[in-house]
Amino acid sequence: MLDETPLSFNQAVRGIAEFIEVAIHTILYVRQVYPAEVFVRRKKYNTPVFQSRHPALNEYISGAVKAVADELVHGNVDKVIVVIKDKEDVALERFIFAVQNMIQVESYNRETGVQGAISAPVLGQYFRSFLIKLSMLEAQLGQLGLGDAVLTPPMIQENISFAVVIELRDDKAPSSIDGKEPPPWVPATVQHTTTGTSDKAELHMLKAVDTGIINLSLAVQESEHKFSTEKESKTAAISKAKERAL
Amino acid sequence: MAPLTAEGSNSSDYFVDDDPDFLQALCEVKLPGDLSQKADEKPQSDEPVRHATQSLKRGRDPESEDERDTSRARHNVLASIDEDEEKSRYLKDDVYGAATFGGFGEYMSRKRAKLQVQNADIAEEGQALSTIFRGLQIYINGHTTPSVQELRKLIVQHGGIFHAYLVKKSLVTHILTCSLTPAKVKEFQHMKVVRPDWLVDSAKAGVLLPWQDYIFKVNERVEDLQGKQVAQKSLLNSYVPTYKSPSISNVAPHHPGPQIAQSEPPKNFSQDSNDSLVANVSSLSSHLSNAGSQPEEPHTPAKPKPSLDSPSTPGRPIYTTDPVSPEQANHVPGYTSHKSNPNAERAMQDPAWRAAHTSVAPDFIEGYYRNSRLHHLSTWKAELKNLVAEAQERADSGTGLGGDRPRLEEVDGVREGVGAVEDMAVRKIVRENMGGKGPGWSSTRGGGPDDNVSMRNAQLVMRSPSKKGKEKERAGDPVDDKGRIIMHCDFDSFFVSAGLVDRPHLRGKPVVVCHSQGAQGGQASTSEIASASYEARKFGIKAGMSLQQARKLCPQIITMPYEFQRYKQFSLQFYTILMSHADDLQAVSVDEALIDVTSSVQRIQTEISQSQNSSASPIDPAKQFAEAIRAQVRRATGCEVSIGIAHNIMLARVASRRAKPAGSYHILPADAMDALAPLDIDNLHGFGHATRQKAEEKLGATNLGELAKMSKGVLCDALGKSTGETLFKAIRGIDERKLESDKPRKSVSCDINYGIRFENNEQAEAFVYQLAEEVSRRLGSIDMKGRSLTVKVMKRDPSAPVEAPKFMGHGLCETFTKQIQLVAPGGRATNDEKIVGEHAWRLLKGFGFDPKELRGIGIQVQKLEKASGHAEVEQGQAVLPFKPVESAKEKAGVGQNDKPLNAVVPPKINVLPPSSPDVQELPPPAHAQTSKTSHDLPAFSQIDRSVFDALPEDIRKELEAEYKRRSITPDPLPAIPAKRVRFASLAPADVFPKVKITVKGTNVKRITQQLAPRGRSSISPQKTALFKKRDIPFKVNVSEEELRKLGLDPDVFAMLPRNIQREQVAAARFQKSGKIGVTFGGPRRVLKPIPRLLPRTRPKYVPPPPPQANFPKPPTLKQPGKKKGEKLYFSETDDVQNVIEKWVMAFLEHPPNKQDVGFFARYLVQCVDNTRSTDSGLERAIAVAKWWLVLLRRHFGVWEHASELDVGELQRDQHWTSEGVGRAWWEAFRDVKGQMDTVARRKYGGCLSLR
Repeated sequence: MLDETPLSFNQAVRGIAEFIEVAIHTILYVRQVYPAEVFVRRKKYNTPVFQSRHPALNEYISGAVKAVADELVHGNVDKVIVVIKDKEDVALERFIFAVQNMIQVESYNRETGVQGAISAPVLGQYFRSFLIKLSMLEAQLGQLGLGDAVLTPPMIQENISFAVVIELRDDKAPSSIDGKEPPPWVPATVQHTTTGTSDKAELHMLKAVDTGIINLSLAVQESEHKFSTEKESKTAAISKAKERAL
Repeated sequence: MAPLTAEGSNSSDYFVDDDPDFLQALCEVKLPGDLSQKADEKPQSDEPVRHATQSLKRGRDPESEDERDTSRARHNVLASIDEDEEKSRYLKDDVYGAATFGGFGEYMSRKRAKLQVQNADIAEEGQALSTIFRGLQIYINGHTTPSVQELRKLIVQHGGIFHAYLVKKSLVTHILTCSLTPAKVKEFQHMKVVRPDWLVDSAKAGVLLPWQDYIFKVNERVEDLQGKQVAQKSLLNSYVPTYKSPSISNVAPHHPGPQIAQSEPPKNFSQDSNDSLVANVSSLSSHLSNAGSQPEEPHTPAKPKPSLDSPSTPGRPIYTTDPVSPEQANHVPGYTSHKSNPNAERAMQDPAWRAAHTSVAPDFIEGYYRNSRLHHLSTWKAELKNLVAEAQERADSGTGLGGDRPRLEEVDGVREGVGAVEDMAVRKIVRENMGGKGPGWSSTRGGGPDDNVSMRNAQLVMRSPSKKGKEKERAGDPVDDKGRIIMHCDFDSFFVSAGLVDRPHLRGKPVVVCHSQGAQGGQASTSEIASASYEARKFGIKAGMSLQQARKLCPQIITMPYEFQRYKQFSLQFYTILMSHADDLQAVSVDEALIDVTSSVQRIQTEISQSQNSSASPIDPAKQFAEAIRAQVRRATGCEVSIGIAHNIMLARVASRRAKPAGSYHILPADAMDALAPLDIDNLHGFGHATRQKAEEKLGATNLGELAKMSKGVLCDALGKSTGETLFKAIRGIDERKLESDKPRKSVSCDINYGIRFENNEQAEAFVYQLAEEVSRRLGSIDMKGRSLTVKVMKRDPSAPVEAPKFMGHGLCETFTKQIQLVAPGGRATNDEKIVGEHAWRLLKGFGFDPKELRGIGIQVQKLEKASGHAEVEQGQAVLPFKPVESAKEKAGVGQNDKPLNAVVPPKINVLPPSSPDVQELPPPAHAQTSKTSHDLPAFSQIDRSVFDALPEDIRKELEAEYKRRSITPDPLPAIPAKRVRFASLAPADVFPKVKITVKGTNVKRITQQLAPRGRSSISPQKTALFKKRDIPFKVNVSEEELRKLGLDPDVFAMLPRNIQREQVAAARFQKSGKIGVTFGGPRRVLKPIPRLLPRTRPKYVPPPPPQANFPKPPTLKQPGKKKGEKLYFSETDDVQNVIEKWVMAFLEHPPNKQDVGFFARYLVQCVDNTRSTDSGLERAIAVAKWWLVLLRRHFGVWEHASELDVGELQRDQHWTSEGVGRAWWEAFRDVKGQMDTVARRKYGGCLSLR
């Protein structure tokens, strides 16, 4: 039987942070930001996921997620965005983890279960469906190989990179500025953020969950830039094919 | 240098390059002793080894080899073997054939064989001196003294077999070594491991001595034997044989031979043979250099160069009678005139004397502290510091003492030929200082000048009560550092001048103060000189020398005894005077203090400038003031004081040195550098011998003037960072130290390193407990408890003689310290002697030293905290009366004011000299002890149990009764059951009542506590007033008359326990006096808890409610139900999709209703809007929109992308064409989608994708 104990605030934060970390690995695999050889298949939330085995990459991701978790606790986060960008540092796709802190929890109550909230196993099942949807994303968006996969020179992929961006609620600043260490967050490029998105960008809602504590949704946004470059390369490929045909 | 290195080295290099003259001399010289050949043979014996190995190993070509040989042959005058011939024979021999590749085993076996051939050669050449070692097969391990070569020769020459490798242990009969690694110790544990001097001594004696006398002992210090000594010391005088026979260190005599050695050191075998070994080489080397010392007088120290007083000579003598380190010993002239104190050795032979005078003696510690000058000095210093601090506290808090103290009069007698005005000014200030708040030291002590030499009862009064705290003064002090006036006041040869007050006839004569009086101790007295008069100093006598050394310098020296009582008195007077003038005072020692007189001098200055309009005479007011102080002290004590004046401590000290004798000197800030330049480093306070040596070695100068030219970096590099920095500043007359008048006491310690001679662990343990008792007494006297304990142990240096040169001194020692946390039950700090003793003994035991080797033990208690006050409360709270007996006793031990006689029962001391005939002989001393009991019974722990048992029964019972009466502690240690049994059998009833008494003491408290109101108010002021005084014991001494007056029946009163007596009397007196107070016997006043303002029942703690999850209500799609008026709300995706499907299906033939579309759009927008819905709403909206899209595509797919331009017929005959319906639907859809996008864009930007 599933455990029916409702989540506590901290559990929710930890759970979401953990999920984001898993999801980032999966995104990197699914969108082929790094070669598939880098990843190893594992099981998480009862579903196969892919995890990077590159220590530096893992360290970066876990560091970023830890910083995200720090912000999550304060309830300031609005979105966590994994930006897939091309070699010109222009966003192609944004994986938007939109979070919404539904309640304010006093620090002494952070470990007590939130009444009415969903339980940990249920959240896990939700995450599972998130991940399944993520892994099926390719069918929806096509390979991030810019248009026709067959015609795409593989080198383009090598220039894809990613970044983790957080968007805070209005008027909030990252909390962890204690002067000692360099702050984990630097101002993001506007184009990477949702505010910098053109109207042509398309948002695919993957999945959302209402935990009752922090609601989470994952959406993928394809930027206008992606469409335009895809179109370009498509036409280029077509013309090339035509040339070849001639 | 040369002789010893050659002696100790096994390198033949030293010999190859020697010039023919030397070798010639070597031949001619006539050497005494059997071993004279050794030195000659050494080069020779080494040659073949080298030769052979070289030629074989390296495969040198024969030509060069020959060349080499011949050239060497030229040098080698003594070579008796024709090398060429020898070589050819070697090569023919199987042993000397070329080694095959990879044949390491062969190589080794050949090497062994070769070595044996060499041995045979040595034997031949040495003409086999004797055969005493026949049958011995000896292996030498590690570095030895004498060297392996020497020993090998010795072995072979006397018929033994020397093994270079320990291949088969069964083959080897003995192993020679001076030091072994622990692993080897284990390896050789079943073998005969012997020190090399066995062979040396045997060869000397001409017979094979029993090897058992020379068994190698592991605990001999390793480092010393590994060549350090040889490298470091070139002089024979300090060449103490490290391999003393063990029987020497054992006092119990059972070997005839070594005993002789003990009483007649010069004929000591080991030493003698050692000398002869050394002499061989050193006498030879004297041809080469004169650096070596003469073998004729190996014990006299090489005089540390004649230029003693030139500041830059390294070998300056240190004057001390009992140096700790050999380095130090080297610097003490005349120190080693005896290797071992002959008197002490003789005395130690006598067990009775030993029992009475060493640390084994029961009253040893007492006596030690009664006679130890250093002890007095240090305690006084501590006490003076306390007095100063107290005075300061009083001054700060503004409460002066009452006016009943003797005023020091006649201040006006200051007459020093000072100009009238200045004189007036100075006098005025002095008078001001003395008068008014007044100086004073009150001797509240009623008892006459008994042998109590403590200063504790005295009080010093600080002059300026107006000053609120030093810190404040310092912070807001307008006077900068250069304007500060610090005086260093120091008695001139304090002990001597104090003694001379009573002995005016000795003035002007060389006088010293020391323990030894008259001719006592004779020429060899090691009594240390504490102080020497200036006349004596002219002879070069200094404090710290032994009397014997002083007599050598000045035969007519006169000695004076210590007069501690007088010192104390003078010191107090001295301090009183200084205190009256000082703004701030730091007690340095009994006869030395630092004072800050800035304000007084300033006042004098203003006084002068007021009365005289800036007189032309630039007279130094500070100096005038100093003279006035000097005059005052002189009048009070009759002794001269010298005062150094400067603007900081360091310079003041330098100045006082200049001021001596009997003067004052002011170093002005401008003159500081000049004044310092001619001085030497160690003239500065805080820089000692070690720093000086370092400076000498690394900087090549010790003169401050020279050092002043060096940069700070150079100084820091040479002397270490902080020292270098301090020195750099000091040279420039800068010293930032502040006077430390209120430094709190950090530790209390007891250190005894005189007369420590134990025979067994029991004695050591007993001594440690006694020492602990002393420490705890000291702690108690300053009302402190400690949390940490350090034990310092001095152990005889293995190279030092058993009896130190100083009579009963410690001699050369290794010092060890260990620290432990001092924990009383309950984790509190303690000063309980038993606990201190236990901890100390545990530490000492942990060292695992042979008690015979101990030469000094010290116990120090640190991390002090105040014992008074809370401790009592804690006690009552922490310890329940029915706790184990031990804790009850410990409580009594801590809490009670009178010192428990027998709180701890340390193991008794058993002096059982090996020669003691029987117990019968002992009673006399025991009787002496018992007869003493009438005056003063020794502590029970100090009674010799065997003696005690031997007493007649009646006396014993009496004694026991007496001890029991005195003892406050009820029960002996449970750890010593034997004793308990004894007591129980003798007086079984006795143990119990005492326990009851202790319990009762606490019981009262407990009862009253229960009587007292509960809750917070139990700490009411009344209560503390009531019960606080309970523990102060006082005799209820009320006359019968008074009792009657008070209305008490004397008979009944007498029957009452003392506590209740006191209560009754107090209560009755209270009643009588009519005062309102606490009554004891009267009507009981009901004590009620003070009513609180707050409601009695505090609101119960309610845990804050757990957080509640927040699920915003999802937007719903309202639909009319089947029944009339019924409304259905759809929120789930499927339901909404169903509704849409129905809607779409219903309007396949008609364009959708505008209202329906609007209604539906509102729902979707609400879902998308994240302010009104969550993201799952968005998800749902998208899902719904997608389904709508699917439906539309299914039914009107053609029209999805239909261009607006070629619009066909939309309506026909009131009927909508499919194109018209389709276009209408798509229009509606795009409209709704547009609305959704607009809303979604607010959060995500872009638009929604329905793909």
